[in-house]
Formats: sequence, structure tokens, C-alpha cells
Amino acid sequence: MNDRLAALASSAQSELEKAVTLDAVEALRVKFLGKKGELAAILGGMGKLAPEERKALGAAANTLKTELETKITAALTRVQDQALEAELKGPRLDVTLPGRGVKPGHRHPVSQTLEDICSTFARLGFVIEQGPEIELDWYNFEALNVPADHPARDMQDTFYVDGKQVGVTKPKAPGGDGVGEQVVLRTHTSPVQIRTMLAQKPPVRAVMPGRVYRKDSDQTHTPMFHQVEGLLVDEKVTFAELKGTLDAFARAFFGAKSKTRFRPSFFPFTEPSAEVDVSCVFCAGKGCRVCKQTGWLEVLGSGMVHPNVFRHAGYDPSKVTGFAFGMGVERLAMLRYGIDDLRTMFENDYRFVAQF
Amino acid sequence: MKLSLKWLNEYVKVDVSVDELARKLTMAGLEIEGIAKPGEGLKGVVVAQILASEKHPNADKLSVTKIDDGSGTPLQVVCGAKNYKVGDKIPLATVGSELPGGMKIGKARMRDVDSFGMLCSSKELGLTEESSGLLILDPSLKVGTPIAQALGLDDVIFEVNVTPNRSDALSHLGIAREVATLLGADLKKPSTKLSESSTAASSKIEIKIEDAERCWRYAARVIEGVTVKASPAWMQQRLGACGVRPINNLVDVGNYVMLEYGQPVHVFDLDRVGGGKIVVRTAKGGEKLKTLDEKDRVLDAQDLLICDEKVPMVLAGVMGGIDSGVTEKTTRILLEAATFQPATIRRSSKRHALHSESSHRFERGTDVSVIPEAIDRLAALIVEIAGGTVLQGRVDNYANKKEPRQVTLRTSRVGELLGVEVPAQECERILSSLGFVRAGDAPYAGSSISSGLRTAASASSTSTWIVPQARVDVSIEEDLIEEIARIRGFDAIPPALPRGLSALEPERPQLALERRMRSALAGQGFDEVVNYSFVAPADLAAFQAEQGAIAISNPLSVEQSVMRTTLFASLVPNIARSVRHQATGVRFYELGRSYRPHAGGGEGSKPVAQETLELAGALYGGSRSWTGSKDADFYDARAAVESVLSALHIEGVTFEVLDSPWYHPRASAVVKRGDVLLGTVGELHPRAMKRLDAPAGVYLFQLDVAKLLESAALVPQAAPLSKFPSVNRDLAVVVPVALSADQVRSVILEVGKPLVDDAIVFDVYEGKQVGEGKKNLAFALRYRSAERTLTDTEVTEAHTRIVAEVSKRLGAALRA
Ligand SMILES: [Zn+2]
Repeated sequence: MNDRLAALASSAQSELEKAVTLDAVEALRVKFLGKKGELAAILGGMGKLAPEERKALGAAANTLKTELETKITAALTRVQDQALEAELKGPRLDVTLPGRGVKPGHRHPVSQTLEDICSTFARLGFVIEQGPEIELDWYNFEALNVPADHPARDMQDTFYVDGKQVGVTKPKAPGGDGVGEQVVLRTHTSPVQIRTMLAQKPPVRAVMPGRVYRKDSDQTHTPMFHQVEGLLVDEKVTFAELKGTLDAFARAFFGAKSKTRFRPSFFPFTEPSAEVDVSCVFCAGKGCRVCKQTGWLEVLGSGMVHPNVFRHAGYDPSKVTGFAFGMGVERLAMLRYGIDDLRTMFENDYRFVAQF
Repeated sequence: MKLSLKWLNEYVKVDVSVDELARKLTMAGLEIEGIAKPGEGLKGVVVAQILASEKHPNADKLSVTKIDDGSGTPLQVVCGAKNYKVGDKIPLATVGSELPGGMKIGKARMRDVDSFGMLCSSKELGLTEESSGLLILDPSLKVGTPIAQALGLDDVIFEVNVTPNRSDALSHLGIAREVATLLGADLKKPSTKLSESSTAASSKIEIKIEDAERCWRYAARVIEGVTVKASPAWMQQRLGACGVRPINNLVDVGNYVMLEYGQPVHVFDLDRVGGGKIVVRTAKGGEKLKTLDEKDRVLDAQDLLICDEKVPMVLAGVMGGIDSGVTEKTTRILLEAATFQPATIRRSSKRHALHSESSHRFERGTDVSVIPEAIDRLAALIVEIAGGTVLQGRVDNYANKKEPRQVTLRTSRVGELLGVEVPAQECERILSSLGFVRAGDAPYAGSSISSGLRTAASASSTSTWIVPQARVDVSIEEDLIEEIARIRGFDAIPPALPRGLSALEPERPQLALERRMRSALAGQGFDEVVNYSFVAPADLAAFQAEQGAIAISNPLSVEQSVMRTTLFASLVPNIARSVRHQATGVRFYELGRSYRPHAGGGEGSKPVAQETLELAGALYGGSRSWTGSKDADFYDARAAVESVLSALHIEGVTFEVLDSPWYHPRASAVVKRGDVLLGTVGELHPRAMKRLDAPAGVYLFQLDVAKLLESAALVPQAAPLSKFPSVNRDLAVVVPVALSADQVRSVILEVGKPLVDDAIVFDVYEGKQVGEGKKNLAFALRYRSAERTLTDTEVTEAHTRIVAEVSKRLGAALRA
């Protein structure tokens, strides 16, 4: 019997060594250790033996069983390793094929710029206010100190809407005097200043983004564009703070090295008024084609809120002062993204939008 | 406004460089938009004289001339022009010079004759667009003089952007005043010496102002014996440099005085002024006037007229009539200098679409106090260049006397508004230099302010200032502060961040909503577009959405003439355009407003129109990919909507069939949450598709942002996770095709309560195997309890119950 065990041990050894697949090893396990396997067959013949021989043989069989189990496990590990090795050495994927699934979409540069402008001011505590685009003349002009027949109206060519068509037949705006019944597409976001002040008491610290319309269309003008208006009203707000705010904005938006330059100008709704230039982002102020060799880019209009505007909005100009500013979003977007034709902004060519 | 540096120098000594002057003016609010140096390109071109001229021996059309260029040695120059005679002075481009057109002049040999230089026409010098023959120069010019100097082109012309408030700066003297202040220099006004005859002008003319509301002042002078001819070269050059075309001496002098003083003036042929009478009155409705541009103008009561005793002669402040102006035969003239109400001139100018140098100034406001000075200057210059005798006296009807405004300035207020203290002395220096006079100082010219002793209050905190009447823009304290700030320079105000916030307001929820919607759609592959808010009526009509659309009264074009009532009117053309540009797959969205009238628009703070913020999208086709290419369909559009709803944590939304002219009736749905309509989704209606020239297979969705905001859970609340495992079972049923998945699903969820946690459709099959008019729906059911682990028996029992109920209620057959 011992010979048989020895023979089993040796044939198992050599067969396991030859086995190269998981299935082959598994088959050997059944062959040697299964219920009807060779070891079982040997043990099945033990009944004929004397008790002490049986005991000795049983012990030997158990030792062999443990030994075989270890060998089988080792063989399993070996063939698994071999299989893995083989798998690792198999043909590689074509990693140059693109990934599966939807490609993310893109933001329009104007809306992205508008959002970034607003969030920059949000860091300075400005909240966002919005207002209507189809507006009474009173809000768009009169309340902003631009009476009818004022030459300042030429600064903004206006689209009109027939008041009767939209059901506005008599002057209804606060302080409306008959001119107010005219309905316009707002020419700037400034009427939102008036609406905001009429709706709340000072202090006010708000930016007002949105679409505006002017009857103008050429290489550098589109009949619709976007503005962000800003308004800060409180007791004793100063021009120095207007400068500080816009200076901070320029550095946050255009880069820490940006400089601003304030030039006296004219807007009917501010006094004093200033145009704000930012040092050219392309040449750092040295002068180039974009800044027409001046080193400066005109990006903003601003000023201290005119007392008449406060009066129209129900604020007492002897109690509060404030500043306001406005900027064209398309212009900033063009500077930022290097877009040189304004009109491409609204053509919405899929190849254009996909760049941003 | 074009500003000549040479001219400016007559009134103020400019001792800084051209660039520095430009910078100073710009930084004081008179923006210099351009600097032209007309003589710069004419180096090497000199005044020369033709000493002799002969026919070219080998060319009929050429001549060989002998030219004196001042060097002492006559030059031989070949010339093709014929319009000269020997002795004429002409411009010579010398050898080595370069003309403005880029032509380099070298020694040339023309048909075997040497030529040293070129005789030039005005076109060749870049002075005019066209010219015929040589430019024949003034015989008094000295040979050898550089041509730029000879023609007065050695000047610098600034293009000044004068803002509408600064009519005082629409003249050389006005800007000189500003320059004098900025440079700390003296202002030298022209001195006018007038010798008058003993005949009083008032004996020849009479001025009657019938509407003093609109005509504040009208002054006239009379000159007899003038000769109308061309102006002298210096005047023509000066006007030309400032962009004004020379006409004749009388008209030119008028323009000259306007450019000098900013006061528009007019010259009448007195023999054509009926009765020697000037009547300023409003027009009668229907009255007619033929203006200088030979157009018949029909007038109304808004227009102000200058008439003689019978007929209108001039549309006041805007344009003269053709019948009263000066002609070559004119000898007796009436000079006019007047002040009109700005709004009147503006209305006339607008109504007749007539914009002139005069109306430009009048509508901005002119200096009523400068009238006597300006009309005297006009008379003196006319006598100087047109001869004649000035009759004695001005006939000056100042019917509506305007006192200069007085404005009080508190030094403390200067600091409060600017954020920087400005000493009272500095305020005073600046304002005085700009022509403001302290009330209480010496009497102000042209005003009736009584003189008084100047007190020691000059350094005090309050001072009252008499505003120069040229400064129509200054009427309140802030205006004075602006004058001080701009002359000191805004650079002198140190920037400061605004003082702290009293409170930080929470962000408006709509902003968070917009951000999430955008990023959800970006994740679905949608590119953002921004379209004009106005569209073509036809594009709205394609959606049957043109009813009530708000029309623009004065659109730029019909394509941009109505406010859109649906964003689809923009998006579908976007898609069509992209497809025309070979796009195979496009996904666009826009976040923008649609516009409709609403009741009570414009009342109180209510917006004029209902402006609805919408999120709308359009998709078409698909990108081609090695993993499989599939064109967009309804379920891609629905997926976009679902991604938005999911990003906003809007739950309990149903999609129900919809009939709409926008969509294909077979593939469209309304998106609802309870009774609230959140939006719609579907395939573009084939009729709209045709009308918009769009390709087949465009899918659309639109969502009402305000409605989304009401339903959104921007801060979703956590629910505890079940500690117990779930059990998954599939269920497949065959149902009639018309039965919706939602109908089956709702039965499953209802019957399966509370054990069925979710039921997801994972397969839909129609085909022979399930029979005609039927479809197979396969659901993956998830059983789960929050309290315990479910037993197999429990789940099997529930599953069996669901199967039975579904078959019973929906006539469905369980699929083997
Ligand atoms: Zn630059």
C-alpha cells in the first residue's frame, strides 16, 4: 500500500508539473483527491489491513493528502500566474481611439464674460439686479437726466416700440410727464439703477447685467449687446472710492499688473463723469495695433450719480452720494479671448462657440 | 471738431509738445481722437517758377521746362501738363523726395531728355482727390519755400471729441481758454477795431422778435459796398484745415467767426431782405421754404423762422433759404448773430433731418453774451477782405435777457464728493482761470451784477460763482466740483476701496440655478448661443407665434423687426445655418428672454412687457464615432430636460403628450410637475421645418426658468440610507403599443408599495414575436425595506401580486 501511495505521490508530482491550465489542475485535483479519486481508491482498500497497519497507512495518506493539496494550490497559483503573464503579454488596445460618450458643450464668450464680471463684483459685495429690456422712456432717459430734446440723446440711437401696441397708452411711470409713455428698447442698463433705487432704501451696492439695444450696425457695432452696470449709493461715497473699486476690478479681471486711467467725460446721469481706460492687455501699455499705439483701452464709463437722478429715484441728494459705472461686455470678451470681429459673437457659428 | 494748432497759437502760447498738449486736453475731458500733420509728407517739395517751356522733341504730349527752384541753377524738368504759362509758380518735387502717394522722385530720362524732379498737381500732393493739371500757386510766394509752409500745411490738426455738454469747446477760442488754464498761460482774445460810418444801421433795418421764448437775442449790423469774391489764401487754408469748404469771402468769414467764437452767424443780401425788416417768428403750419440745399421744406409751428417783412428767409439756426443768401452781385449786407432756444433748433434739425455746423452748436447751447463781440469781429473781418463800410451801431434786440447763473461752492463738499481735500485757493484759481467770476468781484461783462467789495472770504469754505454764459453745462455745485477735479486731473484723486459692507446678502437663488442649468447642459454636450432678441416676423410665423409679438417701430431691417415670442425662432435658424456649414451634429442652448405684451404693462413698477426668461435648446444629428453613430431623437432632447431637472433636484415631473404648432404631434410632450407647466420638448413640426429651411430631425425643448426656480431644491436634504440589501427582479409584460411605460410603471409602483423601491424600464421591443399592435416592456424592479432584510418568499409573493395586477388592470400578458 505504501508503494501505491508513493507511486501516487510521484505521478501527481509529475502530472501537476505538466498541467498548464486551471482546468487541467482542477481535473488533477478530482483525479487525485476527489471522492472517486486515486487517493480515495487507495484508502478504500484499507479495510483489509490490520488495525496498526491501517493507522500507519491512514497517517501516511493524510500526510500525502496535505502534501497534494499544497502542490495543487501551488500549481493553481502557477497556472494563474502563467495565465496572467500570457494575458499581460497579449495584444494592446489601440489607445489612440477617442473616448466614448458625449463631449461637453461650451459657454458663449459673452455670457461667460458677463458672469465673470458679475462674480468679480460679487467679491466686493455687489448683488445682482435685473430689469426689463422693453422700457418706458422715463426710466431709460428722463429719470437719468436725459430730457427730450437733449443732444445727449444722440449718443444713443434708440429703437422704439409703439406704446399702444403693448397697451401703454398714458404716462404711467413715476414722475411721467407725457414723454414717459414712449416705449423703447433700453439703450443701456442704467434704467435698472432707477428701478433698484425706487424699490429699496439706501445703501445700494449692485451690479446690473443685461442686454441693451442701439440702432447701429457696422463693423464695430451690433444692434444688441450686453452691459454690466454698477451702482453704489450710501452716505459719503466718494470719487476716490469709484476709482478704487474700478481699479480693483481691472486688476482682478485683467491681471494684477493692470493700471487704470480716469479721463473726464460726459454722461448726463453722472457728475463728475469719467471714461476709464485700462492699460493695454496686449502690449502692457507700450503701444500696439489694438490700443492704436496709445497703450490704453477704453473699457468703462463712470461717474458720481447726478443729483437729479437721485431726485427721480426718490433719494435725497443732500443725504447720500454714490457712484455708477457701466461697461460693454462684448468689448471685454473680445479683449479677453482675442476675438477681432464683433459680429461673429451673434452669428452663433458652431465652429465659433466650440472654441471657448 | 477740428482744431488747428497754428490758429490756437494766436490766442494762447502753446509751449509744450504736440503730444503733451494732446495728452493734457484728453485728460481734461477734451479727448483728442486724432492728430494730423498735413505737411509731413511733403518734404522736398518746394515753390518753383517756370522760366521757360518748349515742346519735347520726341513726344507731342510732353514739354521740357526750365525751372527756378531757388537754388540759383535752373533745372530741366519734363512735364505732361498744359495748364500753365511761363512765369507761373508751381510745386516742384525735387530729386530725392517722396510724394504722399509713395512715388519716389529720382533723376529720370524721358524720351531721351533728362528730367530733374517733377512738377505736381494738387492730387499728386495728396491735397485733393482729383485735379487737372499743375497746381498753380499764388504768385506772391517766394521760390524755394517748402510747399507745406507756403500752403499753410505746416500745421497740426487735432480731432477733438467734444462731448455734447461742452458746446463752449466747439471753437478755437473756447479750447484756447481751456489750454490757457491747463498751461497756466494767458488768453489773448482777438482785438477788433471797427470804423463805422455816420449812418446808423438802425435807420436801414429793423428787428422784430415775435417769439422771445425761442429767440432770446438777435443782433445785426449793416455793411455797404462789399465785393464778393474768393477769400484770400490764408483764410481758405485755415477753413480747409478745419474741414470747411471755402465758398466766397462773405460765407467764409461767417464760418471763420463760427470756428473762432463758436457763434454761428449769417450774412444776408440786404437788398433781398424785404423792407429791411427782420422778423423772427414761428412758422405757420404748411408754410414753405426752399433751403440752400435746394429742397422745399414744409414747416410747422415747431419751426422758428427768420423772415423779412413778407416771406421766410431762414430756418432759424439750421439752414438759410436759397433766395436771401449772398450772390456774386451782392453789395449791401446784413450780418446776423443770434441766440436761439436749444430745444427748438434740435427739434427742427431732427424733423427736417438737417444737421449743420450751426444747428450742431445751437442745439447744444451758445453763449448769449458773446453776440456783440462776435458780430463786431465778423464785420471787421468782412471789411478787411471784402471791403465796404460798416454802418454805425449794432441793432441788438435782446428780447429775453438771460442773467448768468450763480452757483455756490462749499469747499467741504469738494472733499466729500471727491474723497480728497482741495484747498479753497486752488478751487478759486481753477475756476477763475476758466472764466468763472466770484460774485462780489469786479462786475461781470455783459451782466447786471452789481459790483461789490471783495471780502477776505476767498479762503473761506463757501463761495458763490458767476458762471460764464458760454458754459451752458454748469448749473449746480457738482458741476463746479467737476471743473475743479478735471483741471487738477483725476490722477490727483487717490483710489480707495469702498468702505465695508453693513451686511452680506445671500446670493440670488436664480444665479445658482442658472449656473447649474448651464453645467447640466454642457454635460449633455450643448454649446451655448446668444441670439438677437429681435427676429423676422416670418420666423415667428413658422411657429404660429407672431400673434401679439412686439414690433419695433424703427427696425434696422425686417429680419430684426419683432421681439421674439419663442427662442426657437432663433435656435432653429442657428441649427439650419450650422447644417449648411456642414455640421453633422449640433446641440445649442440659449438662456434668454421671450417678450409678450401683458395687461397693465408700464403701470407703477410693472415692466412694459412680459419678459420671460427661458432655457431653450435645439439638437440635430450626431457626431460620428467609432463606437457607433446615432442621430439625435426625442429621447436625447428629453435627456437634456432631465439633466436640467436632475441638476435642480426637481422631482415628481411627468411628461405628457402635447399638441402644439411648434412640435411634431407624434413626438412632443409637455413637462409638468403637478399642475405646473415647466416646459415642452419634442421634434420640430414638419411645417415649421419647411418654412425655416431646417433639416429633418431637429429636436427642441424649452423650460420656464421662473417655474423651475419655484420647484427647484437647490439645497437638497439628505435621507438615511437603508442598511438592508435590496433584491432585484425583472418583469416583462406585453401590452398594447398605445399604453405608455409610465402607465405600466405607475401600476407596478402602486401595487408594489411599500416593498418596490424603484422600477426602471430596461427594454422596449416591438416586433413579430410579440404580435401586431403590441410591445414588450421589461422593467427592472428593486425591492427594498428600510427596516429589515427581505426574505425570498416575501419578494416572490409581492412580485407575483404585481404581475397579476398588471395583467388584470392593463390587459398585459406576462412574457415567458
Ligand atoms: Zn496695446
